[in-house]
This record gives sequence, structure tokens and C-alpha cells, in this order.
Amino acid sequence: MIEELFRIERDALKDSVIHRLDARVKIAIAFAAIIALVAVPYSTMIFTVGIIFYVFFCVLWACTRLSPIIYAKRALAIIPLWGIIIFFQIFLKNRYYTTYDVVMSLPFGINIYAQSIEFAFILFVKFVICISFIILLSSTTKLQDMLEGASRMGLPAEFALALGMMIRYLFVFGYMYRKINETLKTKCFDAFDHHLPYRYRLQQLGYTIGTMFIRSYEQGERVYTSMLCRGYGRESYLFVEKKALKRHEWAFLSTSLVFITAVPVIVWITRISLF
Amino acid sequence: MHLIETRDLCYVYPGEVKALHNINFIAPRNARIAVIGSNGAGKSTLFKHFNGIFKPTSGSVLVRGEPITRQNTKEIRKFVGIVFQNPDDQIFAPTVEQDVAFGPVNLGLDPETIHHRVHEALRVVGIEHLAGRVPHHLSGGEKKRVAIAGVIAMEPEVLVLDEPNAGLDPRGVADLNMFINSLAKKYGMTVIFSTHDVGLVPEIADYIYVMDKGRIVASGTVEEIFIQPDMLKSVRLDVPVIPKLLKSLKENGVEVSMAYTYAEAETALLRSFGKQS
Repeated sequence: MIEELFRIERDALKDSVIHRLDARVKIAIAFAAIIALVAVPYSTMIFTVGIIFYVFFCVLWACTRLSPIIYAKRALAIIPLWGIIIFFQIFLKNRYYTTYDVVMSLPFGINIYAQSIEFAFILFVKFVICISFIILLSSTTKLQDMLEGASRMGLPAEFALALGMMIRYLFVFGYMYRKINETLKTKCFDAFDHHLPYRYRLQQLGYTIGTMFIRSYEQGERVYTSMLCRGYGRESYLFVEKKALKRHEWAFLSTSLVFITAVPVIVWITRISLF
Repeated sequence: MHLIETRDLCYVYPGEVKALHNINFIAPRNARIAVIGSNGAGKSTLFKHFNGIFKPTSGSVLVRGEPITRQNTKEIRKFVGIVFQNPDDQIFAPTVEQDVAFGPVNLGLDPETIHHRVHEALRVVGIEHLAGRVPHHLSGGEKKRVAIAGVIAMEPEVLVLDEPNAGLDPRGVADLNMFINSLAKKYGMTVIFSTHDVGLVPEIADYIYVMDKGRIVASGTVEEIFIQPDMLKSVRLDVPVIPKLLKSLKENGVEVSMAYTYAEAETALLRSFGKQS
């Protein structure tokens, strides 16, 4: 998990036309795509909208010059969390359909409905595309740029300061975790070494986690002291300088927003279906 | 009137751990003061009293002749800047620029002034090129400079550095020495620093306080402190290598005058060997 954080950062530090875009542009596009997808009614038109959006995402991803494997790995890492919720929809009735056709009957009165499968698939499409845009945003935007972008877009100062510190210390603890891991390795400790007693391994892992907690607490105390030394108070905020979007960023943003808005509207009005 | 003065300052940590006993400390204007002592001597605890982070259990701390109160805390913290030993405790913003801006923001300055102060502070410590970088990509020395810049940006008149050379490579230590000296000479600041590296002290201090077990056991100029090897040994410190060597040479019949810094020792030895008049 922590190593993944460093990997995401490494990808975000690469260079491409998408990486070079101002964070605000990428945030706006990602959120516009998510809102547009969520706003599409629960009907089969989502498949047409979804495939067009997915092509749009693929074009953007190709421009990032990042490997599709990176995208696939990240998407697969997240999908199981939601996948279970989506999977269970096939057994449940929902308010979007009036009639239900049983496809398969299981013991204990559990049925799988054709309409529920369709609903689950609609959810899956919405979810995959929303996640894809989030992966695009996180893989091409440094965390601090994202925070600056969000601040410039009106994120409250209190949140920005707290998030800024969280980002900073996420990496500090990432490095601390690495060091502790290296120390354990230096002392030939492997949590999966079956030659060591199970209880002993558990105990050592407990000590390690405990150490991390104590260190976090101590670090928090020291950081707060140094914040006070620099005049921290209720009015503190994260300093973000004003920055105007460049002409090409405006052009890209407006074109993308028009596209994202127009696609669902056109599909809805014209009832075009690619399937 | 002294910039900082403590009178019979005592501090007891929760759990009845006595950390400071009757500390009488004076920091005049434009001075370079070293507080030396072994680990746990109370140096960091003393420093935290200088800007009101710790409140004395008894005794008093006066800054510009005034006691520290709730009303003047902000002003005091602007006046006395503290740089802690571990820069990771002090760098909390996601970028260098934002971190250095943290202090000026808290002083309620306008964005133009903040921008100016940030870039001026980064220039003073020689890291203007790091403004947009993230702290976890910096080396230990660079982080230390960022931490110092963060305090310098508040334009304090007294800079307190807790173990400034800890974890720095020789070049980093040399750069830091030059920087500390320039703060006093060029900007007229008072610099107070703690260390247990006695070799560093003659290069960057005019006056020394020796601490042990929460007490000031000696104070004086570099010459006054380093002619007391027994006292230094009793507090787990030692005389720096240069005066120690020159003293030994003298005791063995070499005519050489006493020196404490590298430059002074070089001159003394060259003169002793007849290479310089």
C-alpha cells in the first residue's frame, strides 16, 4: 500500500502533455466526467455513453505515455472493493425496474434476476469509468499540485492546510515504514517465515505497529510545537500563489467539458445505441 | 536591555522530572552564543522557554525586558525563531515554498510580501532552486536549510538552532558555519545554538554556556571555557582538538601561542616554525 503511494508519485513526476496540464484542468475534467456518468439515468444508454467516455479516457491515457499495465493494475486493485457490492446486486431487486424475470433459482429462496444483472452491469460500467478518470488524475498529477489546484478552485483553507500536512506526513511515515521494514530485514525477520513460531511473528509485528503509533504520536507533538514556534493559529492557511490558466489549457478544458456534457445529452435525445 | 534573559529559571516535566535548575542566561544583541552539554543536559528544554513554548515552573524569561504573556506570544515568536534538530518535525507543507511561507502567512502578511520574504529567505540559505520541490525528495542538508529558511522568513532578531550540525556531512557543516557567522555579521542577528560537538564551537561562537543535568555549570568566552579541561570532562565533554594539540606541543617545549580556530592555529604554527613573521 505504502509502496503503491511511492509508485503513484513516480508516475506523477513523469512528463507528458497531460502531466504538464494545470491540476485544475485535470480535476475539472475528472469531476465533470464522474458527474456526467452519475447523472446518466439507470438505463442501457449508459453502455453507449460509457464506451464513448472510455475511448476518451483511453486517448488521454495514451497521451500520458504511461503503460496501460499501470492503469490495469490500479483498476484491478480497486475493483474488488466495489466489485463485491456490484456482484451482490444480481440477487437483489431495486427501484429502477417494475418486473423481474428469474434467470436462476438458488437454495434458500435466493434468485438471480435478469434485470438485476443488467443493473449490476450498469453500475459496473459507471464505476469502472469513474475510477479510470480518478486513476488518470492521480497518475498524472502530483499530490501537492492537486492540493494547490483544489485550493485555487476554492477548497476551504482549513481543509487545504490539513490535507497539505497529511500529504507531507504520508511520505514521512512512508519512509519511516520503509526504514522499519529494512531494520526487520537486516535482523533476518520475515513475517512469513514458517520456521519462526507463529506467536513470536505476531508479537514482533505487534511491536512494529506499536512503534509506528508511538512514533506518530511523538512526531505529532514535535510538529505541533514547531508549528506554534512559527505562529500557527486559527487564521493559518496554506500559501498558494495565484496562477492563471494558459490559453491552451483553457482550450483543452473547454473542449473536454463540451464533449463530456454533449455526449450523454446527444445519446439521450437521439437514442443512439452502439449495442 | 538584553534580547533574552532568564532569571532563576526552573522547569519540571510532568512526573516530577527536573529538567532545569536556576538557569540564568543572557543573550545580548548581535551575539553568537553556544550552549554546550551532553545528551539530556537540558539544552532543548531551555530553548523552548525562549519563545514561550514551555512555561517556567519557577523563575522568569524576559524577551527584550518583557515577560512572555499570552498577549505577546505571537510577537515573541516572530522575534525569536527556533530551528529544531530534526527538519522533518519542522517541514509540514507539501512543497518547500509553501513551507517557508507558513510563518509569514501566520504573521498576516499580504501575498506580495509573503512571496518576497519566501524567496529572500530561500536566497539567503542558498536554496532558491528548490522552491517547487517536495520535502521528501530533499537531502538532510537541504531539509535543514528549508527549516532554517522557514524561520528566517519570519525575520526574527534572535535565531535559536537546536543541534544545527546534527546529521550533516562535512561540507554541510562548513556551509552552516559560514551561514551562522553571516547572520551575525551581515544581518546583525543574535544566534544561539546548542551542540555537543565542541570542535565546532570556536568557529562560530563568541560566548559559551556549559550545561549539565539541567544546570549551567560554566559560562564565558571560548578561551575561558576551553582552558578548563577537567570541568569539561566532568560533564562528558572535551576540549577541542586544536587547543588540545597546541597545549600538548607547548608542554613538550614547542614555542607556540594558543589558538582555538583552524585559522588561528594555522597562523600560530606557521609562526612557530618560522614560516610567517
